[in-house]
Amino acid sequence: MLKKIFLFLKRELRLFYSNIIDLFSNILFFFLSIFIFIFAIGSDEQILNTIGVGIIWSLLLLSSTLSIRKFYEDDFKNGILIILHMGGMSYELIVILKIFSHFVFVQIPFLVSIPIVSIFFNLPYNEMYNLILTFIIGSLIFSCLGSISASMNLLNKTNFSIASIIVLLFSIPVIIFSVGANSIDDNFNSLVNLLIGINLIFLGISPWASAAFIRLAIRNS
Amino acid sequence: MFKFLINPSRFNKFVDIIFKPLVIVTLLTLIIGLFFVYFSPLDYQQGVTVKIMYIHVPSAWLALLTYAIMTIYSVVGLAFKIPFSFIINKAIAPIGAVFTLLCLISGSMWGKPMWGTWWVWDARLTSVAILFIIYLVIIFLNQTFENREVREKTIAIFILIGSINLPIIKFSVDWWNTLHQPASVSKLSSPSIDISMLQPLLIMTLAFSLIGIIIAILRIKTEILIRKKHL
Repeated sequence: MLKKIFLFLKRELRLFYSNIIDLFSNILFFFLSIFIFIFAIGSDEQILNTIGVGIIWSLLLLSSTLSIRKFYEDDFKNGILIILHMGGMSYELIVILKIFSHFVFVQIPFLVSIPIVSIFFNLPYNEMYNLILTFIIGSLIFSCLGSISASMNLLNKTNFSIASIIVLLFSIPVIIFSVGANSIDDNFNSLVNLLIGINLIFLGISPWASAAFIRLAIRNS
Repeated sequence: MFKFLINPSRFNKFVDIIFKPLVIVTLLTLIIGLFFVYFSPLDYQQGVTVKIMYIHVPSAWLALLTYAIMTIYSVVGLAFKIPFSFIINKAIAPIGAVFTLLCLISGSMWGKPMWGTWWVWDARLTSVAILFIIYLVIIFLNQTFENREVREKTIAIFILIGSINLPIIKFSVDWWNTLHQPASVSKLSSPSIDISMLQPLLIMTLAFSLIGIIIAILRIKTEILIRKKHL
């Protein structure tokens, strides 16, 4: 089983390298939207410093919703999901591995961009450190939500924006606690603990829910 | 005895018997309730605006209750494969959305004279607004998928995931310091409502839930007829 998991991750890595320009476009989208935000509110340093963390978080969320349609769609259309399942992997395991590889290959590269972006907002060093720490926890939740909404919309051929709406809807607590952890200094530890708690809830829910959606889609396609 | 809750034909038979008496009882309850509300005492601080409570509180309760019923029916429908529960899910989602909207609108109309603002971002108000968005997403999902089985089960699983919001709404006034007051209807809690205001509140709650039941019955019967036609 370990060998199968290893091969699966290796295949994900190869797919990711063949498609790396997609990730670069996502990061470029993130940078451009930050620029547009700064142009829209003017370059007053005081204002930028106070609202910086909130803007970075919401734009990270928006740019992570760009790539969620790719989560299962290719594997589903190729029939690779069925083949993996026939090879002895349960759908839950496939979902967990997919979430893990999405977290490592798509969300972690965004970490590189955070120090650069925090220069634009003149964020102090410790706030940047907090931002990176909360992003590592929060982006895993984004991956779980992306898995849920992508598997929900496998057979959806008409209404594409509902997938992004579902991710945005369930990420409201993530945004509240992670931005709160950065703005209120003495509450940092408790809010990060709450964030880890939400993370564990979604890690528990998402394999079950996504596997149910995938089964439903495969049975009816 | 309670077979009519999971069986469409039993439901139709049962409803045909009780529908006319139900309408009469609803009208009587509503008239008596409005009568009680008219003669209920004014608050010594809030004056006449306290009467918004008799719309605000029942609609908030029913918004939560509708979602709880949908959650129970989703579990039943997914676990025991009962298609009637998906009919109910589809039929009562707009009713819950309307009650939530009514709660939000009456709440902000109450908040303007009392708090001085239409809207504040505190935990109770925000979580109810999220409940309204969840209802809207359920209604949109009802129009999305072509395959009926996919649509019904997707909505049921979505309802189960979204039910995380219910305890957050219930306990938001206890967990966080909010502008919204904590629940004071139960006689056991220390600041509790007076009996002269509790009576009209309970009668209005009964009237609101009967109105909701009547609309739900009409919508469920329509949905059963549509499915019979397409089978």
